[in-house]
Amino acid sequence: MKVLVPIKRVIDYNVKVRVKADKTGVEIANVKMSMNPFDEISVEEAVRLKEAGKAEEIIAVSIGVQQCQETIRTALAMGADRGIHIKTDEDIEPLAVAKLLRALVEKESPELVILGKQAIDDDSNQTGQKLAALLGWAQGTFASKIDIQNGKAEITREVDSGLEIIEVNLPAIVTVDLRLNEPRYASLPNIMKAKKKPIDEFSIAELGIDAAPRLEILSVEAPKQREAGVMVDSVASLVDKLKNEARVI
Amino acid sequence: MKTVKKNTSSSIPEGFLQEIHKIVGKNGVITNLSDMAPYLEETRGIFVGSSPAIIRPKDTLQVSKIVAMCFKENIGIVPQGGNTGLCGGSVASGELIVNLERMNEIRSIDAINYTITVDAGCILSDLQKISEENDRFFPLSLGAEGSCQIGGNLSTNAGGTSVLRYGNARELTLGLEVVLSDGRIWNGLTGLRKDNTGYDLKQLFIGAEGTLGIITGAVLKLFPLPLERQTVFVANKDLKSILKLLSLARNCSGDTVSAFEFIPRIGIDLSLKHIPETVDPLKDKHEWYTLIEFESGSSESGLDTIMEMFLNEALINNLIIDGVIAQSEEQRHKLWFIREAMVLAQKPEGASIKNDISVPISKIPEFILRADKAVKKICPGIRPIAFGHIGDGNVHYNLQQPLDLEEESFMSLREALNRLIMDIVQSLGGSFSAEHGIGILKVPQMISYKTKIELELMKLVKDTLDPNNILNPGKIL
Ligand SMILES: Cc1cc2nc3c(=O)[nH]c(=O)nc-3n(C[C@H](O)[C@H](O)[C@H](O)COP(=O)(O)OP(=O)(O)OC[C@H]3O[C@@H](n4cnc5c(N)ncnc54)[C@H](O)[C@@H]3O)c2cc1C
Ligand SMILES: Cc1cc2nc3c(=O)[nH]c(=O)nc-3n(C[C@H](O)[C@H](O)[C@H](O)COP(=O)(O)OP(=O)(O)OC[C@H]3O[C@@H](n4cnc5c(N)ncnc54)[C@H](O)[C@@H]3O)c2cc1C
Repeated sequence: MKVLVPIKRVIDYNVKVRVKADKTGVEIANVKMSMNPFDEISVEEAVRLKEAGKAEEIIAVSIGVQQCQETIRTALAMGADRGIHIKTDEDIEPLAVAKLLRALVEKESPELVILGKQAIDDDSNQTGQKLAALLGWAQGTFASKIDIQNGKAEITREVDSGLEIIEVNLPAIVTVDLRLNEPRYASLPNIMKAKKKPIDEFSIAELGIDAAPRLEILSVEAPKQREAGVMVDSVASLVDKLKNEARVI
Repeated sequence: MKTVKKNTSSSIPEGFLQEIHKIVGKNGVITNLSDMAPYLEETRGIFVGSSPAIIRPKDTLQVSKIVAMCFKENIGIVPQGGNTGLCGGSVASGELIVNLERMNEIRSIDAINYTITVDAGCILSDLQKISEENDRFFPLSLGAEGSCQIGGNLSTNAGGTSVLRYGNARELTLGLEVVLSDGRIWNGLTGLRKDNTGYDLKQLFIGAEGTLGIITGAVLKLFPLPLERQTVFVANKDLKSILKLLSLARNCSGDTVSAFEFIPRIGIDLSLKHIPETVDPLKDKHEWYTLIEFESGSSESGLDTIMEMFLNEALINNLIIDGVIAQSEEQRHKLWFIREAMVLAQKPEGASIKNDISVPISKIPEFILRADKAVKKICPGIRPIAFGHIGDGNVHYNLQQPLDLEEESFMSLREALNRLIMDIVQSLGGSFSAEHGIGILKVPQMISYKTKIELELMKLVKDTLDPNNILNPGKIL
């Protein structure tokens, strides 16, 4: 079984994001970028499937600027076999990402695509679902457990009311949640080995996809600053504030 | 637990605290025993302090007035910061405690001059944060940074994890404001990098542990914000290869190594046993590990390539056996957490004798070899945990009690064990206290290991600046 793992290069989870002065987006110059944390989990899961003898080849795909190749190298160091980089300097919306991935699925014929449930920069939570719809494949979203047996995948999903267990036929799309696994560190010998693994490059045009944006960003604003708390000197004044200022009681 | 020996200063006269109250206002004096407790307790629980009151001035003028009153009445003062010091320097034995926690303003920041001027009571981590918000970097960093104050850091000449690249607190200081023992204020708050006008007075107060004056303000050096960091955690077969690795790292990175810490296997084992959420990042067990960090002020400096070249070279030369590179800030924090967890894990494992020694870097393997042998001879089963800032020649040579020995019998060996270690340190040209200072804890070692002439000179300085011996009496000398 071939597994395709799309990975996105995003602003590092620990970086304090700043809005650009002209409000067209967030500052990414000189900012630490890393693999989307959910995608690290997808890579880890794919590598575990391979280690368990359930997958033969893992292909890590990233769409974006040249430096996405560093992100692909990380996936290769974690255990992916080869990379595909779809190079573009434009921001690509989830639908276009899904279409690009469909084009790759048609080329590579994987039986499983494992994606993060969302990317932490846009929080769209759309790509996996859109890809499933475009391909007409089954989907199991927000997976906290994946069990592959006899051409089927049993997927435990985290839903509001608890856990839901579904079974889907392969080929399928799975999007992963935080509790699925703990991604491994890339070890030195594997980082060195990853340097020799191949990364194929495509342009969007080569894949014949119209990736033009359909949304226009009007303005990006920082969240309102929270006001500092105050110490109240008595219960009475607390009640008064809750009643008259906060109007919650 | 020891109670500290009484100082010679007078007891507090009638009405004195009322006068102080007038100076520092309603919240400036604490005399309630339970509220005083955090100021009297000491980090390691070795000493128990006592004091008639905790005075919390709001500005330099208030400090000056308080000290002037104490000078007149011959009342002892213990200057106190975050009370995180590890040698009992901020423990009072009947003296008044003057804590600067309410003096926590950033006075100014001059980004072009790469300096920040602060009240001495600023918490170290606040200072780091504000520098960063101004696109500047204040490199001093240590485990207690969330509670220690900059005044305490300067008074102990604190080191920490970035000494290798940026130096210790002394090297980060350009100017000071100090209240002298008679209450006069010396304003030496210059931000000058070159100022050869006579004696460099600030150096006297840095590392003086509050025995020569109370530091109330400081001008500190800032640096360009590191925009790229590479953090690796590697396994090593022995200490000699760690030293070669250090040279290699410095040479092939253009000296951008900002941290180089070593960790023994037992440190990892104890962390895994006692501290939740520690993970061993490597598959196999190894004797030694190093945590190395490289830093660059540019995100396009090719630091990743440099580091990989370094690691490649190190692998080829068998200086490392295995390792991981942090792929995200999250992983970087986790790797550093191993280093911190190891310190925390020593407590639940039983009694531990702490040491903070330094020797020339090249002598570290010899030191550890000889010290291990010596301590095991008089205490079979003892578990040395040698770790620390190997890039600075600074080893925390801690001794964990044997599994089959009572805590008390182990601690009764403390002096004998320390003596053995310090004699080896001395013979290698090292220091018995690398970064934590003297306080009360290491006063006996001062007498054993400092030369007569050094002690005489120090005494001379002390008598000149604090003729009545009211500033932190009984500490250092
Ligand atoms: C062409 C030129 C260029 C210079 N450029 C610079 C520069 O770029 N930067 C800079 O900082 N300076 C510069 N200087 C001045 C600089 O201070 C001196 O060159 C040098 O540091 C002094 O060393 P010296 O051995 O000549 O000392 P001297 O001139 O002999 O003595 C200088 C002082 O030190 C004392 N002294 C000397 N030796 C000792 C000792 N062993 N113990 C105690 N006290 C001692 C002397 O009593 C005297 O007070 C320059 C000078 C010249 C002529
Ligand atoms: C978890 C932990 C990790 C640590 N790691 C390191 C480390 O890596 N490197 C290192 O060097 N140290 C380390 N330390 C010890 C370190 O020296 C102190 O944490 C810190 O520098 C002391 O600051 P403080 O504000 O707590 O000072 P305090 O403990 O309050 O005082 C220390 C000494 O300075 C004097 N003093 C305090 N403020 C003033 C002032 N304004 N004017 C004059 N004298 C003053 C006191 O009288 C006392 O003698 C560590 C401590 C802990 C608890």
